Amino acid sequence: MTLLKPLALAALIAFSSAPFAQETLKIGALVTLSGAGAAWGTGMQHAAELAADDVNAKGGLDVGGKKYKVQVIAYDDKYQANEAVTVANRLVYDDKVKYIIGPVGSAPVLAIQPITEKNQVVVMTLGFTAKALGTDKLYTFRPNVTTAEVAGPQIEWVVKTRNVKRVGALFPNDETGQQIAKDLTTAYGKVGADLAAKEFFERDRVDFVPLITRILAAKVDAIELDGNSPSTAGLITKQARELGFTGTIIRTGGPATQDIVNVAGKQATEGLLVHTPIDPKLPSTAAYAQAYAAKYKRAMNGFSPAFYDGTHLLFEAMRKAGTVSDTAKVVAELEKIKGHKGALGESSWTGKAAYGVDHQLDAPFYVAEVKDGQEVIRARCTASGCK
Amino acid sequence: MDLSLLIGQAVVNGLVVGLLYLLMAVGFTLVFGVMRIVNFAHAEFYMLGAFVTFICVTRFELPFLPSVALTLVIAVLVGWVIEWAVLKPFRHDELNGMIATIGLAMILQNGALMLFGPDPQSMPSVATGVLRLGDLLVPNSRVYVVLCSAAVLLAMWLFLRYSRTGRALRAVVQDIEIAQIQGIKARLIYPLGFGLGVGLAAVAGGLMAPLFSVSPFIGAGPMLKAFIVVILGGLGSIPGAALASLLLGITESVAGTFLSTSTADILIFALVIGMLVVRPSGLLGRPE
Repeated sequence: MTLLKPLALAALIAFSSAPFAQETLKIGALVTLSGAGAAWGTGMQHAAELAADDVNAKGGLDVGGKKYKVQVIAYDDKYQANEAVTVANRLVYDDKVKYIIGPVGSAPVLAIQPITEKNQVVVMTLGFTAKALGTDKLYTFRPNVTTAEVAGPQIEWVVKTRNVKRVGALFPNDETGQQIAKDLTTAYGKVGADLAAKEFFERDRVDFVPLITRILAAKVDAIELDGNSPSTAGLITKQARELGFTGTIIRTGGPATQDIVNVAGKQATEGLLVHTPIDPKLPSTAAYAQAYAAKYKRAMNGFSPAFYDGTHLLFEAMRKAGTVSDTAKVVAELEKIKGHKGALGESSWTGKAAYGVDHQLDAPFYVAEVKDGQEVIRARCTASGCK
Repeated sequence: MDLSLLIGQAVVNGLVVGLLYLLMAVGFTLVFGVMRIVNFAHAEFYMLGAFVTFICVTRFELPFLPSVALTLVIAVLVGWVIEWAVLKPFRHDELNGMIATIGLAMILQNGALMLFGPDPQSMPSVATGVLRLGDLLVPNSRVYVVLCSAAVLLAMWLFLRYSRTGRALRAVVQDIEIAQIQGIKARLIYPLGFGLGVGLAAVAGGLMAPLFSVSPFIGAGPMLKAFIVVILGGLGSIPGAALASLLLGITESVAGTFLSTSTADILIFALVIGMLVVRPSGLLGRPE
């Protein structure tokens, strides 16, 4: 009799819980949550959480007959490669994650890839460097377009329609900044304009007056903000206008308009020409923006929808592969997905020609002009050009 | 822009930035002078000051100068309470005092992150247009902020130089034991010294807010510069801090304009290392 009671209880627990068994699928968010890149990182973390909410609201992610409750574990890499490595080790070896949303920066993604690729961990990075994708990095994907994809068409449109001849630019002195400086020099040169003055600075800098003074001394008619974090781009805009610069200010890559306006103010940003990966009037994008604002009580960052779609692409690939643990199978299914309908509209993978693998998101993007603090779409672009 | 004009512009930019560093550094060196504590939370008081001014201006729609004045009053009171509640046991205890202020910094920064979020926010400029000095350009917003900073520093100097309390504070900085023998109540001077230090950092944050942006992480840069300034000038020496601020501001601006900002940073650290080798007590600091 003494044994019967606990045995019966154990059997009851086992029996009663079996039909409702739900495992947890951990997704890492290795993103920047502090400092200048925090707006991007927070937007990516929230994107993963909103995608997780979608599947959890339906009782979990259904893969191979099992239901998984998706849990997002977020850590701050402080936009630094060494911090990213620490966090990646923690996610891969302690938390045992097989999927990572992030990192934000180029140097961090290059730093964590030896760990993630070796352990077959799928990474959805924002890092703009061309070195992030390649045939030796089969587990890394980029669900957002980068300067390499957008610079050519956007710059051609800007130079032709706004008569820009000499351009000055300020870049962070790191992998991201160096890469973007190269891409932009080529892109401006191709359409007959000259990136005449380039300045590099450390990312924690807030006073740009000496650098802008140098740029203005080179008699530029436009300032390019690509490659800078949203808050830094806002500071450069504000300080350039305070120094009396009345020429065109251009933001070629990376959505940052709202943050630039927040930092620089509406007056300084009037007429700013910006890249935007989203058309806020597209119903799917508007719905995502609304869901984001409802949950987080603030406007979404422009990169956020790409990572919401990226997380859903991962879920779709897991469902098709019928496994969450065999990431080689998940990657094979992920590569095959075409015409995914998400927050950005329809998107597919591309990149074979540029990177050797189709791990780069192919989605339309837009050139907008800032009017009274709001983006007004002026051109719709694809890799082949803007209209 | 010809060479002489570029030099002039760089020097003017450097003077502006140097004065801003000075405001931050005086508060830092005052706290060290009175309490012999390196206040690692100084950056967070700068950040909190920026937020208080930001809230006064954008939410309560107060004019800028009254907002900065209110920031000063709130910060001095907060500093007073923190000294009494947190730092009292660590007066003249450099190591534990330092650890206490690091803990305080973490609490303040993460508290601000929870309250205000990570996104940088902007305050409207306090003045528009550009001041032309011949061919030199200085944004009016900077001129305005520089004049305010100079007024705050002048008021602080007059207070320390001529008021009874200010003289008592300086006496404590020079020799705590002799000051106490003379009847100065150290139990009042410590929280006042810390409160004034916090107040200066907060005013610096409030004055900088319209020039830069406001977020929980804005304190680190100015803090590093303030730290360099007090080492160069001599820990505890306010005239030393003044000299070092202008030296740092001009070096940074001129080297940043003609070479690169990275080279400017290297030059500044070389300057600090050189100073520590040649004169370990700083430009105008007294030897320990």
